[in-house]
Amino acid sequence: MSVRRGPRPTGDRLRRLLVMLPWLMERGEVSVTEMCDRFELTEQELVKDLELAAMCGLPPFVDEMVDVFIDDGTVFAGVPRLFTRPLRLTAPEGFALLAAARVAMQLPGADADGALARALRKLAAVLGDDAVVVETPPPPMTTAIADAAAVGARLRISYWSPAADRRTEREITPRRVFVDSGHWYVIADDQRSGEERTFRIDRIETSELTGAVDPLREVDVPSGESWFSDDELPTATLRVPASGGWVAERYPTRSVTADGDGWLIEVTVASERWLRDLMLRLGPEARVVEPAEWALVGARAAEALLERYRTGSDGS
Amino acid sequence: MADALERITNLVALLMATRAPLTQEQIVFELEGQYPAGDAAQRGAFERDKALLREIGVPLESEVLSGGDAGRTAYRIDRGRYELADLHLTADEQAALQLAVAAARLADAQFGLLKLGGDRSSAPVVVANIPELPSLPALREATARRSEVSFGYRGSQRRLQPYSLLLRERFWYVIGHDVDKQEVRTYRVDRLEGDLDIGAPGAFERPEGFDPRTTFPSDPKLIGEEPAARAQVLVDEPRAAAIERELGADAVLERRPGGAIVAEVPCANLDAFRSWLFGLGEHAEVLGPPDVRADVIEWLQALAVAR
Repeated sequence: MSVRRGPRPTGDRLRRLLVMLPWLMERGEVSVTEMCDRFELTEQELVKDLELAAMCGLPPFVDEMVDVFIDDGTVFAGVPRLFTRPLRLTAPEGFALLAAARVAMQLPGADADGALARALRKLAAVLGDDAVVVETPPPPMTTAIADAAAVGARLRISYWSPAADRRTEREITPRRVFVDSGHWYVIADDQRSGEERTFRIDRIETSELTGAVDPLREVDVPSGESWFSDDELPTATLRVPASGGWVAERYPTRSVTADGDGWLIEVTVASERWLRDLMLRLGPEARVVEPAEWALVGARAAEALLERYRTGSDGS
Repeated sequence: MADALERITNLVALLMATRAPLTQEQIVFELEGQYPAGDAAQRGAFERDKALLREIGVPLESEVLSGGDAGRTAYRIDRGRYELADLHLTADEQAALQLAVAAARLADAQFGLLKLGGDRSSAPVVVANIPELPSLPALREATARRSEVSFGYRGSQRRLQPYSLLLRERFWYVIGHDVDKQEVRTYRVDRLEGDLDIGAPGAFERPEGFDPRTTFPSDPKLIGEEPAARAQVLVDEPRAAAIERELGADAVLERRPGGAIVAEVPCANLDAFRSWLFGLGEHAEVLGPPDVRADVIEWLQALAVAR
């Protein structure tokens, strides 16, 4: 349960109260603890809002009085004719529910004709035609990894590590699977390093059960882009042409400033290899401004690749 | 003076219970002693209450009166529009939705679920990070109601009949009929500029069976004048298995001793193609067609001499 500090804004309290009252009315009596838990309020906050609701009522509409009292840890409610149904879904709530359901339909194990699909149809019927489409297809390995995470099964995997540019064999115990920006990841205990590591599922080439099962452990999935912006990593400042603006959208940056008809972008550098590939993709019009040691990383990579085209491994 | 929450709760009850719309004066009279004294303070408090109700989604209706009270504005809340329709979710549907909301971790979805009677559940094994943008809810409503929308995009104003919203990779797209360009266009929602204007409902029909996924290819390498264009790429053993999984076994033209493959790769968009190719570092080489191979060599030469 989250406990907020400071005064709660009236809008927040009202929004909650208008959901709380009908829910309470339907049940007649509920324990204070259960209500606090459900509506994420401290006992003090809950009591304050309910006492206040109990004072609501209008002289000409006496039978509309909200009849609520608290006794010995239990909330009792009468049944007025108002506030019997929750306030309709707002546009953001409706959108978020549809998006959540659409995303969940793409998760491994989702059944196109199952309960979620039926709930989604009912939701779409109430909210108006459903035109939200989510496309985040999980790699084939995802289901097996998620199944392993559910029971703590240890896997032996072969993993392509782009930073090292090689395949490694390791044993991992998957904990959580998540999708972010179209890529699927697993947070796992990595036996090789003895640490918690995040792996991209599409880079897991093979996976098999070791037979070992580790005790379940909760791990947090960082939200948004925070999870791959690491303060420990070095940075580089790039000068890119206008057409290279996508770099700022695709990768974690420290700063982005306009520079003539292009951009100066300070990126965090996960590995020199990553920077090298990025400079290859950006092409001759982009350069590393700082640090000097990386100024030629793209040119050297291009030189090395050209060597391959000159010799022609295809014999041509 | 009463707690503002008490006053607003009373205000909601009053406006729902009343048959005839009520003016500000009538409301202040009914809620005796709950609004501050003095015209300016009273008006200010009432304006704030109205704004707050609209903000949390209470459908507050106002009309300008005629007759004796001509010119005055009166308010009421239509219960039919206020109350959430019962979705009649079965227990398993409720549970499934709950799990979906827990997986997607959107605060608005969690609150919406409370309204639907669902419980909070702890995050499941599989979760999703979904980009959130303030204009998405309004765009979705416009799509559902068939309202034309207007927004700025790359410095000019666009008018769009939105057919669908698509989340692909990291971006939300709105796809619809561009009224000025007279064709189906796709816009990145995070790039919409300025205010989003939403027109009257029922302004257009969406083509039967419209699917944004077919109008808008997911592979950027396919987006070009000749979508059928393909290059032959030699992929060395360390990356061959992964690339075969990505492209499918049908794309493999040749298997070489030692595990390398020659694969057929879309290259209608050369920028996207090069980007894909260089993601493979030194483990790949374009074999043909000659113009594509020449393009890659030229790109690398320009880069190599830039030192």
